[in-house]
Amino acid sequence: MNRLMALVRREFWENKGAFRTTPLVIGGIFLAAMVMFLITFNHFDNDFQSLKELLRFIAQQDAGLRAKFLYESNLGMSVIFSMVLAFVVFFYLLGSLYDDRKDRSILFWKSLPASDTMTIASKLLSAMFVAPLIFWVVYVITHIVITLLFSVVIMSLGENPWTLFLSLGNPFKAWSMVLLSYFAQAIWALPLYGWLMLVSAFAPRIPLLFAVLPPVILGVLQLWVDFLKTFTLNDNLFGLFGHWFANSPLVMSVDGNDNDFGAALGIPITSDYDHQVTVANMLDRLFSTDMLIGLAMAVVFLGGTLWLRRRATES
Amino acid sequence: MNYVIEAQGLTKRYKSTIAVDNIDLQIPAGRIVGLIGPNGAGKTSALKAILGLATYEGNLSVLGKNPSSDRAALMEDVCFIADVAVLPRWIRVWQLIELTEDIHPKFSREKCLQYLSSTKITLKHKIKQLSKGMVAQLHLAIVMSIDVKLLVLDEPTLGLDILFRKQFYTNLLNDYFDEQRTILITTHQVEEIEHILSDLIFIQDGRIALNSSMEDIQQSYMELMVSHEMAAAARELKPIHERELFGRHIFLFQNASREQLSELGEVRTPGVADLFVAIMHGGES
Repeated sequence: MNRLMALVRREFWENKGAFRTTPLVIGGIFLAAMVMFLITFNHFDNDFQSLKELLRFIAQQDAGLRAKFLYESNLGMSVIFSMVLAFVVFFYLLGSLYDDRKDRSILFWKSLPASDTMTIASKLLSAMFVAPLIFWVVYVITHIVITLLFSVVIMSLGENPWTLFLSLGNPFKAWSMVLLSYFAQAIWALPLYGWLMLVSAFAPRIPLLFAVLPPVILGVLQLWVDFLKTFTLNDNLFGLFGHWFANSPLVMSVDGNDNDFGAALGIPITSDYDHQVTVANMLDRLFSTDMLIGLAMAVVFLGGTLWLRRRATES
Repeated sequence: MNYVIEAQGLTKRYKSTIAVDNIDLQIPAGRIVGLIGPNGAGKTSALKAILGLATYEGNLSVLGKNPSSDRAALMEDVCFIADVAVLPRWIRVWQLIELTEDIHPKFSREKCLQYLSSTKITLKHKIKQLSKGMVAQLHLAIVMSIDVKLLVLDEPTLGLDILFRKQFYTNLLNDYFDEQRTILITTHQVEEIEHILSDLIFIQDGRIALNSSMEDIQQSYMELMVSHEMAAAARELKPIHERELFGRHIFLFQNASREQLSELGEVRTPGVADLFVAIMHGGES
């Protein structure tokens, strides 16, 4: 256990830039945007003469509506973090078993009494839990800081932030939903993570190419064969991936209902899952046949990864 | 007898070539063994098999363990430096020490810091900020702070200047080696290590060309230097190798009589490098 934790910490040290600096930069951008908005609000071409007037207007709105807006803006903020997190994890896994082969430091890692299984586990755990957890913490902190900043500005304008919005929304609900969706997504995405690690352990160079090209070629061939046979475009690898993506438990839209997301991308969502952001719906996906197939794929990919990693120093 | 390394019929095949060809080998504890061979002779392939870094055929047991299936367990008792400068470039010295401490049960932080105190390396340094020589110093400091039974060094000083190389082997011999440990070294700079070796193994085309202790070598091999006139007489005694240097003939004899040779000229113990050249040439003809 101690060794595994040491290896996970090693992953954090190596990827500090991606795991820690990146979310901090996003948080910083949110804060900067907030401050810029507060400074320039009066120059907007809008219906309100001043920020104070806007606050008065908000105060007159229905409390339920305001609570909904708070919840959704909180989720909305998480979407930016989640999307960047997805990119970070993608490229992290792609390099996870490639970089040390390239710079030959694998010869040092293999001289330590840590098994290849443990090494792979440490990298997978970092992608599944460490990076998401750090992103989540920074997202929550950013949200708190922005809320405080807003409250101070509201007070300085002589209004009461508590009755205006603080008392209406319980931020813990959105926060915990986002965190749970990260963990659900980590499991949902296991087949993809397994594939990326397999490619990372295999690619002689440019892992990105090896990760993307084979499925794209396969998908195009499928399309072509389908088209030759039926003159229609049926479900194929692209469609499968689209469904996987659109059905993922990650919170991907502002209004707490992810149903529109796939539709917006032109992916017709089968009504297999209810897309309302709830714990039950996340669990629904994790205990589905789709997930079972995904887990089976992940096991195959990760088994291949281990096989390759053991032989990574052959030549 | 318990050997540190015991191999029977060790063979390593790549697609078209045989890198290690049916080697039998026994290395007891408390020896410093030099594994010497020309490029492509199979040294690194043999070492990789011993360290569990590559698959092989035949029987191989290192400290009683099977390297190909028990690499992680084996690494608790074996350390290796495979090539210079393989430490990860992004890591900081303190991180490297902490990591090794957490993963290696036999690592001593005190020892490591003590070794490092005599160098210019600080804990805050990143590996990529260090010179090649300093990286080698750091790696050696870490390895020497781990209490293992077998240390394998594959070209540990390649590309380092002479001062670093001397220091490297001095540290190894003075601060590290004792009767309980075994060191296996490969290097091209044979002259620098011959005085520290207890055993010598020559490997050529995947086979062992010589496997002998240094004492035996000193007893059975003799180098004779004679003038031009005596050369024919020396040839009569069937030397295994002959070369010319500044108009003098130098012959290498195996199991010859010392008295007989000294009548012809000056008799010396051959250097490992000369012996290597002689035996490698003999093997080719």
